[in-house]
Amino acid sequence: MLFFQKYHNKKKQPSSFQIQDNEPPIKLISPVLLENIAEIQNIFSETPDLVVKNFVIKQTNSPAALVYLSGLTDTKTINNHILSPLLFEADKEEKDFEVRVSVGDVKEKNMWQEIENAILQGNSVLFIDKENKASIFDTQGWPQRGIEDTTIESSLRGEHLGFTETGSTNIALIRRHIQNRELKMKEITVGARGNLKLTIMYLADVAKPEVLKELLDRLNKIDVDSILNSASLAEYIEDNPYSPFPQLFLTERPDFAAAEILQGRIVTIVDRSPNVLIGPATFEIFFKSMDDYGARWLVASFIRLMRYFGFIVAVFLPATYIAVIAFHFEIIPLKLLLSIGASRERVPFPPFIEAIVMEITLEMLREAGIRLPAKIGQTVGIVGGIVIGQAAVEAGIVSNIMVIVVALTAIASFIIPNYDMGAAIRMLRFPMMFAASLFGFIGIAVGLMTLMAHFIALESLGTPYGSPIAPLRFPDWKDLFIRFPEWSIVKRPESTRAIQRLKAKSNRSEGDEH
Amino acid sequence: MKYTHNQITFMQYIFLIHGVQLGVGLLTLPRELAEKAGTDGWISLIIGWLFSTLASLIIIQVMKNYPNGTIIDLVTHYFGKWIGKIAAFIFALYFAFLGSIVFIREGLFIQFWVLPQTDLFILLFLLSIPSYMIVRNNITILGRYAELVFFMTTWMLFFYFSPLKEAHWLHLLPIIKEGWKPILTAAKTTIFSFLGFEIAFFLYPFLQNKQKASLGIVIANTLTLAVYIIVTIVAFAFYSPDEITQYKEPTINLLKIVEFRFLERLEIVFLSLYVFVISTTVLPLFFATVFCTTHLFGNQDHSKYVVWLLLLNLVYVFFLPQSFGRNTQLQKGVEPISLIIGYAFPLCLWGYLWLYSRIKKGGS
Repeated sequence: MLFFQKYHNKKKQPSSFQIQDNEPPIKLISPVLLENIAEIQNIFSETPDLVVKNFVIKQTNSPAALVYLSGLTDTKTINNHILSPLLFEADKEEKDFEVRVSVGDVKEKNMWQEIENAILQGNSVLFIDKENKASIFDTQGWPQRGIEDTTIESSLRGEHLGFTETGSTNIALIRRHIQNRELKMKEITVGARGNLKLTIMYLADVAKPEVLKELLDRLNKIDVDSILNSASLAEYIEDNPYSPFPQLFLTERPDFAAAEILQGRIVTIVDRSPNVLIGPATFEIFFKSMDDYGARWLVASFIRLMRYFGFIVAVFLPATYIAVIAFHFEIIPLKLLLSIGASRERVPFPPFIEAIVMEITLEMLREAGIRLPAKIGQTVGIVGGIVIGQAAVEAGIVSNIMVIVVALTAIASFIIPNYDMGAAIRMLRFPMMFAASLFGFIGIAVGLMTLMAHFIALESLGTPYGSPIAPLRFPDWKDLFIRFPEWSIVKRPESTRAIQRLKAKSNRSEGDEH
Repeated sequence: MKYTHNQITFMQYIFLIHGVQLGVGLLTLPRELAEKAGTDGWISLIIGWLFSTLASLIIIQVMKNYPNGTIIDLVTHYFGKWIGKIAAFIFALYFAFLGSIVFIREGLFIQFWVLPQTDLFILLFLLSIPSYMIVRNNITILGRYAELVFFMTTWMLFFYFSPLKEAHWLHLLPIIKEGWKPILTAAKTTIFSFLGFEIAFFLYPFLQNKQKASLGIVIANTLTLAVYIIVTIVAFAFYSPDEITQYKEPTINLLKIVEFRFLERLEIVFLSLYVFVISTTVLPLFFATVFCTTHLFGNQDHSKYVVWLLLLNLVYVFFLPQSFGRNTQLQKGVEPISLIIGYAFPLCLWGYLWLYSRIKKGGS
């Protein structure tokens, strides 16, 4: 713990490698157009995608230049709404050119730093001769992927819209679900080189101010070159970086993000990443899927129970097998023992080696299947699963029962809907297997105790991670292992520490009423 | 006021006390009772429960005099700094001994029943790892742990209903066959089984809702009684009165007859899970120890004392061969101190505080 604290303290101290030290004095643009163009070409040297379009504004006959980066801007907007009115229209009454330019957002700036940033972000900048300020037009239009169905978190009944790589689109996708003025946003920019825009979304009258403050503090303390995706952002702000468990929820589904905002959680939208961060996360939300709420509650509960069962199987089944075979074979009834013995007869290795070989093979197959193109991926599955499995048994390297155990664990670990949690669980079974190979059941018990010790002390943004299991909060159990009918869950979970607990009124009309 | 940042809920409070009470004692309890009081031992349990509940209630009454501090703060407040330090020292020593005895006994049981070929030192080292991880945190975490373990292990009690198919209820009759004397002798044993409620001295200031403190401690005692009574009565009904005294740990032996199609020798699985139950006894005791030492040395961070405590345990086990005999002897040695700290001390303190408040009222 001491080590962790030290690490945290170190992380929280403001570092000084930032540009603040040798910040150049504020430089203003000059009223001479040619000087400005020279300065621009100086700033953006060796930048072939920079466009400097010189022209004369028809209205005032003054020379002007429009500057933008061609790849990041929407050329159509620039041609139709900026250049063409300025080049061809002359309105006698209207002196102000801005009125004629039909672009929504126009800002006037005179500092080079701001202008440089604006160009880099895909805006276009208009310099006019004899004016000591430049106009920045919002003409952003970079290559974009359309809104598609989600890839990792698939959906049966929920909406089929996934987040894209554009922050503003993602905000819109969430906002569509919550049309309320209490839905507030805060913008933060992170990264000295990347200028990553983060948007925090929350319901102001629901989310706990302390949690919000904690999140903002942590985000503001990040001091790096650039962050390329939301998972690495999560690593910068999570509570315990050495934990196997993910402490912030990454989702690519707007409906899930909206649902969690309504529960009182805070969503961080990371520009350029199709995943948004949800926090504070608890262990149980990694076992939920949006489809739970799209299925009938009995079915959803059944599936959810299967997931928790899968969790236990995935972590403990190989370990238990090793413990039983290597230490406590007396607990198996004789008939079963004989059949296991017959199966293991030809295997020369201790069960731990046997299990490790199979588990590692399985993990490699999984990883290979993901990285390879889909068409080859299938072949890998067939070769790995059927050919290797069968051949290994026939060659007497592993036993039949071991193959069953490994296959069961694999399926059990894939049942967990969240990828990060599934990966964590797959990893956890290795230390368990090791402990079991050394100390049998006691090893598993101590392993579980260690896991519990970690689990109950873990926090996410200062909120207990184990809630509502540890600390125990029975009212929240309505949506834990069993999902009660929606109308019966009238309160927000305590684990989000929402200030407004009630979320629905339980005035469901009876079926017989007319 | 200084304990408000980490609090425990009512349920955590109950399960912490219940956890400390229920430990290794349960494994041998039916035999110890049968040796002294025959099959009337369960009556002694009720008497023991009565005493422990009374003592618990007195502890709560004492603590009400100084609701925002532990017993050490209370003693310091009424008797001065040095008496407070002495009290902290005595409590630290007492809890350290009690915790270590149970901790080592836990290792001995594991060694005897599950891993006979593994060195005790290694087993205790293994157990020290999660112990350290839990005790180094604050009381809230310990409360969560006690709560989680309670719900994780309670179902194990249901296995004890399985031997009842072959039970002979006649073993329990006639009730009070040899008069009250053996029952009262056995009651002395049971009083020790209920010890652990004195942890309330340290839990009280952390409790969120202090009005419920008395109710909570009664519930905790009753839960413990329920577990003891179920196991004892099943053991008495299953074994004949003579047979039961021949088993060292009849509680475990009882499970040997439980068999499933896919599982025999349930007691091995059971004992592996019972490690959790024992840990809820050991860990709060260790926590109380380091809490006292932290107070004693005026330090903030208690995690390094946890390391020292666990290291001392390991060194002790490493250099002195351990056995059930030695462990039992040590336990017998601590028992009178337990009686003083659990029963006499709160009673005296309560009387003193009562007089003190009267005199003060009279004076003003």
